[in-house]
Amino acid sequence: MTQEAKETRPCISRRAFLLAGGTAMSIVLVEGIPGLAGAALQRAEYPRKKIGRLSALKVDTPQYFLYPWKDVFSGCMLVKLGARAGGGVGPGRDVVAFSTLCTHMGGPLQGTYNAQHKAIGPCPFHLTTFDLMKHGMVGAGQATESLPQVVLETRGDDIYAIGMMGLIYGYHSNLAPVQR
Amino acid sequence: MAGKVTSYYLAEDSVPLPPPDAEVFTTACDYCIVGCGYKVYRWPIGREGGPKASQNALRVDFPTAIMSGGWVSPNMHNIIMVNGRLHHVVVMPDKDAKVVNVGGNHSIRGGVLAKKLYNPNEPSQDRLRQPMMRVRGTLQEVSWDTAMGVMAGISKHVLDKHGEHAWAMKTYSYQYFENTYAISKLAFRAIGTPAYSPHDKPGPGPDTPGIDFSGINPFSASYDDWGEAEVIFFSGVDPWETKSVLFTSWIMGGKTPNKKLVFALPRKTSGVAYGEKRGGLFLPVIPGTDTVLQLAIIRLILENGWEDKEFIARKVSNKWEIGSGMGRGTRNTPWQWVTTWGKYGTDFEGYKKWILSYTYAELERAAKITGVPAADIRKTAEILAKPKPDGTRKKTSFMLEKGNYWCNSFGNTASFAALGLVCGAGSRPGRVISRGGGHQRGWMGAAHYPRALSPEKAPGRRKKEIDLDRWVVDGHVRFAWVIGTTWCQAMAASQELMDVFQRLTRRNPHQIESFDVDTAVDALKRRVDAGGMVVAHQDIYPVSPIGTEYSDLILPAATWGEEDFTRCNGERRLRLYSKFADPPGEARPDWWIIAAFARKMGFKGFDWKDSNQIFEEAARFGRNGVLNYHPLVVKAKREGKRGHELLREYGTEGIQTPIRMVKGELVGTKRLHDETLELGTPEGPTMHRKWLTSFGTQSGKAVLLKSYWEDFKDFYDRVTPQGDELWVTNGRINELWQSGYDDKRRPYIMQRWPQQFLEIHPKDAGARGIESGDLVAIENDDLLVQTGGYIGVDGKEQTFTELMKAGRIKKSKGSFTAVAMVTDAVREGVTFAYFGFPENPANSVVHRVPDPLTNRYRYKLGKGKLKKIGESPHKHSLTSLSFVPRTL
Repeated sequence: MTQEAKETRPCISRRAFLLAGGTAMSIVLVEGIPGLAGAALQRAEYPRKKIGRLSALKVDTPQYFLYPWKDVFSGCMLVKLGARAGGGVGPGRDVVAFSTLCTHMGGPLQGTYNAQHKAIGPCPFHLTTFDLMKHGMVGAGQATESLPQVVLETRGDDIYAIGMMGLIYGYHSNLAPVQR
Repeated sequence: MAGKVTSYYLAEDSVPLPPPDAEVFTTACDYCIVGCGYKVYRWPIGREGGPKASQNALRVDFPTAIMSGGWVSPNMHNIIMVNGRLHHVVVMPDKDAKVVNVGGNHSIRGGVLAKKLYNPNEPSQDRLRQPMMRVRGTLQEVSWDTAMGVMAGISKHVLDKHGEHAWAMKTYSYQYFENTYAISKLAFRAIGTPAYSPHDKPGPGPDTPGIDFSGINPFSASYDDWGEAEVIFFSGVDPWETKSVLFTSWIMGGKTPNKKLVFALPRKTSGVAYGEKRGGLFLPVIPGTDTVLQLAIIRLILENGWEDKEFIARKVSNKWEIGSGMGRGTRNTPWQWVTTWGKYGTDFEGYKKWILSYTYAELERAAKITGVPAADIRKTAEILAKPKPDGTRKKTSFMLEKGNYWCNSFGNTASFAALGLVCGAGSRPGRVISRGGGHQRGWMGAAHYPRALSPEKAPGRRKKEIDLDRWVVDGHVRFAWVIGTTWCQAMAASQELMDVFQRLTRRNPHQIESFDVDTAVDALKRRVDAGGMVVAHQDIYPVSPIGTEYSDLILPAATWGEEDFTRCNGERRLRLYSKFADPPGEARPDWWIIAAFARKMGFKGFDWKDSNQIFEEAARFGRNGVLNYHPLVVKAKREGKRGHELLREYGTEGIQTPIRMVKGELVGTKRLHDETLELGTPEGPTMHRKWLTSFGTQSGKAVLLKSYWEDFKDFYDRVTPQGDELWVTNGRINELWQSGYDDKRRPYIMQRWPQQFLEIHPKDAGARGIESGDLVAIENDDLLVQTGGYIGVDGKEQTFTELMKAGRIKKSKGSFTAVAMVTDAVREGVTFAYFGFPENPANSVVHRVPDPLTNRYRYKLGKGKLKKIGESPHKHSLTSLSFVPRTL
């Protein structure tokens, strides 16, 4: 994969991302998977944003950042789980990031990270929890979508957010052309 | 659960919005008792609405605010067919709702309703689309005329030669008034068969006899009452897990959000964890011992003088009122069993005297039997009943569900009702005794169950409803029509039942070998005359094994969203469930199929043109009941409208039954037995039944019923796990609905619960070398099954002890597999599985010995031995089955 290719806007294969789990995949470019065009692919134009450094992360200590935009709906959390996780990056494949708005009715999940079970919640509104080891799958709760996962890649020590898996609460499209 | 889809879920990151001119329909959720209000937005494919409020039908700006109720998640969208054209559809909770799911609250189940709709490109594509007949072993498509011809041909033969007792129906009891009215009109009036059973039990009759016999309607409360209560005692239920919005909107909210919650359950769940954090209490009761727990609490209340003396004096029967009305009904009623024979019903003084001398109600003894620490039982009595420092009483309410009444249906419910009554609950705002509920309330009977024809009889002159499973197993059924239920796995000793079905149907030598109706009927006649059975299964999906393995005929049904239907929720709220999609292929609503069959049989009164005609006809038959909507139909006629159309005007709010007419307007009824309700003079079609303002007894006062542990102890002692056996109890879990018939077709749900699971305490797991994610086999080789014993003559021959002596209890086996989830949420010695994974039926290890009083199974009292048989794929997967505890 050339540097030029990485610099172009990446098109994420969500299927490849999900199925790869915690294996050595941080980004897949459309050009890289011939034949996987069509329904499995979604043209994504997410911004590429540096959100942290691997060396600055402590296990079970979340950091908060905004992604993909800078509005109130873009609140996200970066956390090193200390155990291999679906979509995880870093040497231990244990660094993951998620939206912090509950996909039930938008409840704020900041501050509800559960270190023992690598989960987030219960949401203060209706008690939904999400499993951060398994792509933000609902653990127990009322949300009708998994917690949107930020697609990460690393370059050296730097961690970049490059896309979102799942619709962020509040949006009808993560990439909709609205004023932000 | 071998799902219809993989357990990988691929999340979307956008969703189409309805354009401003999208059509809007109102409906309510298809699933749990709460029945949240939903709106359906529908528009032809090819365009979408925009993010500005002026650009979409929701009138909402995107991004939408937190808690706005205006957010559309991708699982709320689907593509459907309408009059043969593709349409977008968005099914979302009504953000403008002022009742039930206020502000657009919803559960995970209702929130994904859209995905149940038939879409040929989605997992719902395997909906049944054409009638099918099994010819030479293979189910193949036939016409409706052929299917009905064969059904009618064999039915006439069975009725003529073997009698109505041999012609059986097993159907859902809840899937809309229009369908259940048609079903009951056919079964009970046209055919007149006693061989009928609802989906969740082996025969008709009360689920909560102790509540009913005390004079309390099990659905007397309104959701406002749960909201207003200051204290709630939950027995055998965590509503967060089973009726989510009742918990999240009304128990976490309502008029008194800061409530104290006490849960008696063998297993800690999300709602319990919430309650504990707020000063509530968790009583980890050993399965089946609720009677003893409740008696101990009552005794402590009486010992401390904390009972509601004013209420008891006013609302509980004295010794003269107990016997009034000749036992409150004609002979042959189950009431008589417990109220007029002196053993159970008593006045308050008699009850107090009994319980203060009843040794099973002693605190220390109760603590030992129930496994609940004495200090917590004492604390419970205080939380529920101790008056406030100023002498006023707390508003305490009482909710029960199947964990209570599917262990010991009479003893547990009678002691539960008594506990509520001594605390002053049952007839006032915020102070209620009610079920939480399971499915919605969609039964509208055209006729009563013909109990006089039932083959079963209790001692004395008391007929009782049939146990249809035993009736089938004993070889008395020759034709069975199954509608909308997973018969074998839903019943106890499931695998034993499957063996019988297999033997009576497919292993019988007489099978259909021709598509010619007469030839097919002749083959089936030979089968039934040789002691075999013919099965027809009517459903929306292929159901294994009752449909796919045993049925000779498959009848495809239309369902929610494909026909205008009506029914009530858990606070008796009646709504119209709109039609907005085409049913797939030749699928037809159940009432249509019933009517087509009835006409083939030559029965009169089945000439309905649409579901509204049935709704209007049925109204007259519900006039005396708590679901009475007759005044609505009368008003509609006065206004020149159809009944359905007037109800449609009430939208997602609907109206609470029984409906009354006051000054020409329709008025709903918030709660039953409501002493604060001013009725005035009955007007027009209005029915003023006594139970509107008083309890449902002859005197209008509630009855305290003694509940003897000895009535149940013989069975309980026999089924208590021995050696390395463990209790294998079962129940619901928030993210799944019933047998998973729709959930199996939802990748989003299947990633979470791809197959059956078993919660095991760490000590029990450790002793067996079991870790979370391991695949375990659960086997019960001491499974008890009753045969015969239909007739009781003297006093006791239907008790478990006497049935054993008479050789009517035989031993069988049952087993299922599950993925282990090691958690201290269950108490030691107890395991918990989901009740409804048909591929791994937890009911296989449940004894098929019904309660002799009510013919209810003790579903929650299964047992078995556990053995690790390997690792499940989910143990190390990062995409399926979360092991995060539910008690965070």
